Amino acid sequence: LYSILVSVEGMTCNSCVESIEDKIGKLQGVYSIKVSLDSKNAMMFFDPTFQTTESLREAIDDMGFEASVSV
Amino acid sequence: MTKHEFFVDMTCEGCSGAVTRVLNKLGGVQFDIDLPNKKVFIESDHSVDLLLETLKKTGKNASYIGTK
Ligand SMILES: [Cu+2]
Ligand SMILES: [Cu+2]
Repeated sequence: LYSILVSVEGMTCNSCVESIEDKIGKLQGVYSIKVSLDSKNAMMFFDPTFQTTESLREAIDDMGFEASVSV
Repeated sequence: MTKHEFFVDMTCEGCSGAVTRVLNKLGGVQFDIDLPNKKVFIESDHSVDLLLETLKKTGKNASYIGTK
């Protein structure tokens, strides 16, 4: 199980947080996701067989929130 | 170009910002967002299906209303 922290720009309220957690949390191989509005980031635990750091970053970016991997 | 009207269940600036980003990423569109009325007007040569699919990428409920 891997974990990554992705910076997420553009969220303004809890419904933004929920829509990201909801959609990304349903992706294959994603075990958990915790999005923080205050820290502007998303912490995810995933199975590297199904997802990569880049695929998850891109999945959030595709939803319209600027996402970047913060090392 | 046809002007299409869509319903997108946007609730805040974050939602309209996300809609703006996915549409700009798609390209080939000109659009207006009416946040209070939860509507998005799009002028484009893309198919309605593609536009709707793009709007749904935001994770919000979206549906096609019709041409304007
Ligand atoms: Cu929001
Ligand atoms: Cu919102």
